[in-house]
Amino acid sequence: MSSAAAMPSLDQFIAAVRPSLEPDAVSAAYADGFAVDGVTPEIVVAPGSLEQLQTVLSEAREARLAAIAIGGGTHLGVGNAPAAYDVAISTARLDSTFEHEPADLTVTVDAGTRLADVQARLAADGQTLPLDPPCGGDATIGGVLASNAHGPLRHAYGTARDWLIGIRVVHADGTTSKSGGRVVKNVAGYDMHKLYVGSLGTLGVITQATFKLAPLPRAQTTAAVAFGTARDAAAFVMTARDAGLAIHAAELLSPPAAEAVMNDARWIVLARVAGGPAGVDRSMSELGRLAAQAGAGIDDGDGTAAWQRWSLAFRPGVLSLRVSVMPSAVAETMEVLDRGFAGAAAQMSATATAGVIRINLEPSHEDRAAALVVRAQDVAARAGGTLAIDAAPRALKRAIDVFGPLRSDFAIMRRLKEQLDPQGVLSPGRFAGRL
Amino acid sequence: MGRAYTWDNASDCWERTPMATESDSISAPAHRPVTRACVRELERVLGHERVLSTPEQLIAYEYDGTIERGVPQAVVFPESTEHVAAAVRVAHRFGVPVIPRGAGTGLSGGAIAAVGGVVVALTRMKRVIEVDPVNRIAIVEPGVVNLDLSRAVARHNLYYAPDPSSQRACTIGGNVAENAGGPHCLAYGATTNHVLGMEIVLADGEVTWIGGRSRDVPGYDLTGAFVGSEGTLAIATKIAVRLMALPESTRTLLAIFNTVDDASNAVSAIMAAGILPSALEMMDRNIIAAVEPVLHAGFPLDAEAVLLIEVDGLDESTVEHAEEIRAICEQHAAREVRVAVAQVDRDLLWAGRKTSISALGRLYPNYYVLDGVVPRTRLPDVLRQTYAIAEKYGLDVANVFHAGDGNLHPNLLFDEREPGVKERVLRAGAEIMRLCVDAGGSITGEHGVGLEKRDYIAWIFDDADLAVMARLKTAFKAGDEYNPCKAFPTGKGCGEVTQVQIQRLAGQIGTDVYV
Repeated sequence: MSSAAAMPSLDQFIAAVRPSLEPDAVSAAYADGFAVDGVTPEIVVAPGSLEQLQTVLSEAREARLAAIAIGGGTHLGVGNAPAAYDVAISTARLDSTFEHEPADLTVTVDAGTRLADVQARLAADGQTLPLDPPCGGDATIGGVLASNAHGPLRHAYGTARDWLIGIRVVHADGTTSKSGGRVVKNVAGYDMHKLYVGSLGTLGVITQATFKLAPLPRAQTTAAVAFGTARDAAAFVMTARDAGLAIHAAELLSPPAAEAVMNDARWIVLARVAGGPAGVDRSMSELGRLAAQAGAGIDDGDGTAAWQRWSLAFRPGVLSLRVSVMPSAVAETMEVLDRGFAGAAAQMSATATAGVIRINLEPSHEDRAAALVVRAQDVAARAGGTLAIDAAPRALKRAIDVFGPLRSDFAIMRRLKEQLDPQGVLSPGRFAGRL
Repeated sequence: MGRAYTWDNASDCWERTPMATESDSISAPAHRPVTRACVRELERVLGHERVLSTPEQLIAYEYDGTIERGVPQAVVFPESTEHVAAAVRVAHRFGVPVIPRGAGTGLSGGAIAAVGGVVVALTRMKRVIEVDPVNRIAIVEPGVVNLDLSRAVARHNLYYAPDPSSQRACTIGGNVAENAGGPHCLAYGATTNHVLGMEIVLADGEVTWIGGRSRDVPGYDLTGAFVGSEGTLAIATKIAVRLMALPESTRTLLAIFNTVDDASNAVSAIMAAGILPSALEMMDRNIIAAVEPVLHAGFPLDAEAVLLIEVDGLDESTVEHAEEIRAICEQHAAREVRVAVAQVDRDLLWAGRKTSISALGRLYPNYYVLDGVVPRTRLPDVLRQTYAIAEKYGLDVANVFHAGDGNLHPNLLFDEREPGVKERVLRAGAEIMRLCVDAGGSITGEHGVGLEKRDYIAWIFDDADLAVMARLKTAFKAGDEYNPCKAFPTGKGCGEVTQVQIQRLAGQIGTDVYV
C-alpha cells in the first residue's frame, strides 16, 4: 500500500538523505526486487554506515514514511502484510565488520553480511555459528536474526537467541543503542537483544551482532531410517534422544517430503551424528541397534547431498507453515495433518525434539490456501500448540493475522512497540497483532 | 554501611536513622515510607501470619550476600500468585517500594531494601507444580531451591542445568532475576537458556504469562528480556524451565600448574582444540593456601594455579576428551594431572572448588567477591593486573573462577575492624571492574549489577543504551517503586552511604563509555 506516486514527503526524504549517501545508494530502479507481500516500495536506499542508516531513519520519520529493512530477502514472507511501505532499506552495504576471535569463540559481524560467508570464514578456524535455516546463500545475519530463522540444528543448538550475546540497533528516531557485549557471559543491563530476534525489524534495524560460537565437529555422518508410520519414526527419535547419542540434527520427514529429499516415500528420520570420532562410532552403532529393534533398516553416509535437498525443499515457498506442539504430540499431529492435507502435496519435516513441524504446501489455487491454513490452525490448537505462517499468498495474508490469536502478554508487546517506534515507521503492521 | 529504623509516631511511619559515620550527604529520600495503614492493609489481604513489621523481625531481612545493608519496613510471605498480586496491589496503592526476595544469597545487593519498602519473600512458594519428563519441562514456583528441582526430577534421569555455587540454598526465582550461571554454564548456558516462560505479577498487580512451554509462542521474546532483569520489571510466580538428561558419563580432571600463565594458556588451548568442557574452573595460590589445610586434597602449596575441568556425555566421548585435555595440560607444563571417574573421586576433586570461598574465612574475617568478565584470551594479563591492584591497596586477593568463559571472581580479603579498609576494598574493586571493562569485558557475568555496581554500568552502556532499557521498563508498567536503586544508575533517593562512595569512585576511575 504505497502512498501516492508524487508524494511531496518522499521528495523531501530523498533530498534530505541523498547528500549523506553514496551517489548510487538511492534508487527506484530495483524497487520491484524489494517487494514485501506484493507491496513495492517507492525507493530503495542502501546506507553504507551506521551514521548513514541513522540519517535514513530519522529523515523517514520526519517525512512520515514507512520503512522496511531488507537483508537477503529470503524470509520476507514471514509476518503480516505491511500496512505501509515507502522505503526499502537494503543492508547489503553494511558488511564491513568481521571480527572473529577464535580463542574466545566469538564473532562480531555487520548485519548485511551473508550467513554463508560468515560460516565459510569461521570454518577456516574450525568453528561455526550453529544456525542452518533453509534459505540458500543470500540470507544475511540481520535477516536471520530479525526473522528468527532456524533449521535442523535446532535439535542440538537451539535458536539464534541462544547464540546472540550482543547487538547494535538503529531505532526509528535515528538513535542507536546496544545491549549485551562481546563476552560469552554477561548480565549487565536488560538483554534487549533477545527482543530483536524474530521482531521482523519492528523495534529497530539491526546493524551489528556478536555471537558466541561452537567448535565444528571433528567427525560426522548422516543416518537415514525409514518407517511405516509417523509414530514409529517419532518413537525412534525420542529413544535416540533419551540414549544421549551424539546427534546434532534429527528431522522426521513425511512421505511426500521423504520422496523429495530421499526418493523414498515413507516416514524417514534423517539424523546427523557428529562430535569426536569415538562418540560418533558409538552413536552410529546404537542407532543401528535401535533401528533393528524397530524393524527398520539404516542407511548411512556423508549426507551432504541429502541435507542440501532438505534445505531446498523447506525454503519458504508459496504456502509455508510452522506448527509448534509439545514433542510428545509431534507424531499424532503430523499424521492428522498428513491426512488433512491429502492432495495438497504437503511436505512436512519435524524437528521432533523441539516440537516444530515445518510444512510446505502447493495449493492448487489461492482459495484452497485459506482452507488449508484453517485446518492446520485447528489441528495445532487441538494439540495445545500454535501455528506460524512463514509464507502465504497475498490475499490470504490480508485476511488473517499470521501470528494467530493474541495472548495476554500482547499488551506489553504493544507498549514496547509504542515506546520504541511510536509513529510506526518500522515495518508497520507486519508483527503480531499487526504492530 | 547500615541504617536502623525507628517508629515515628508523628509521621506514622518508620524513620530511617543513618548509622554510618561518613560525612557524605545523603540525598533526600524520594520513596514513600510504609505507613501503619499500609501494614494493616497488607495484613488484611494476606493474613497477619504472612506479614512481618516489627523492627526485631525486619532486621533479619536487611542483608543478602553482599556487604550492603538496608532494612525493609515490612516483609510479606505470599503462598500463591493471588497473594503476590494482592500484596503488590497494596504497595502500588500506597506508592511504596516493592523488593522481591528469594533465598537472599545474591551477591550484588539485589534483594536489599535500599530505601525501605515491602520485601516480597517468595520462599513459601516452593511447589514443583508439574514435571513433564517426556517433553523435559518443569513448571515451578519461584521459591523452589535450585538443587531441590534437580533432586525432584532425578528419578526421570533429568536435571536442571544452571548450578550457581549457592545452589543448595538459592531459588529458581532468584536465579531468574539475576540470570544466574555456575560452573556448568560453559557448555549449557546460563538461566536464560533454560527458562521458557513465566507467569508474572506486574507492578499494578496484573497477572500475565510471558513465553510458555516452548520457545515458539508468537511475539517478542519477553522471557529473554525478563531473565536477568533483577526484579525491576515484575515478580515471576510460576516458571517453566527446560530440563536436561543426566549424562551417561562424567570425567573430572585436576591439573596443577607452576604459573598462572601456563594454566591460562592451557584454558585457551583446550577451547581452541574444539573441545567444549562442561566446566573449566581455575583456583590460584591463595585459594590453594586456604583450602589445602582444611581438605588435605594434596594441592601443592607452591603451585600457582589449579584447573578443574569436567567433560560429560557418552562414555566413549568423555574418555576421548579427557585424554586430549590431559595431553594439552601436559604440553602447557602441568606438573600433575589427575582424572576421576567415580562420583566419590570426582566429589573429592570438586571439594576444593566448592569449599574455597568458605575456606577463605580461615585467612581473613571478611571477603568481598567481585564478578567481572573478560575475553578468555585476556585472562593472563588481567589476572596479573588484578594482583597488582590488590597489592597497590595493601590487600590480599584470592581468585577462584570460571576460566572457560572468562568470568573472574577475585575475592578481596580484609578485616573490617581495620580502620579505612572498606574504602580501600571498594576502591580496589572498582579498579578491577574497570580493568575488566578496558579488556573488552563486562562488570558482571552472573551476579548481577544490583545495588553495588549500578554506577559502573555507564562504563559499558551510554545514555542512549540506558534510555532504551528504561523504555522496556515502561512497557512492563514498572515504575521506580519496583526494586528501586537496582541495576541502573537512575532513581532518586538512592544515595546510600556505600553508594555515594561508589559513585565517587566511578567518577574518579573514569566515566567514559566503552564501546
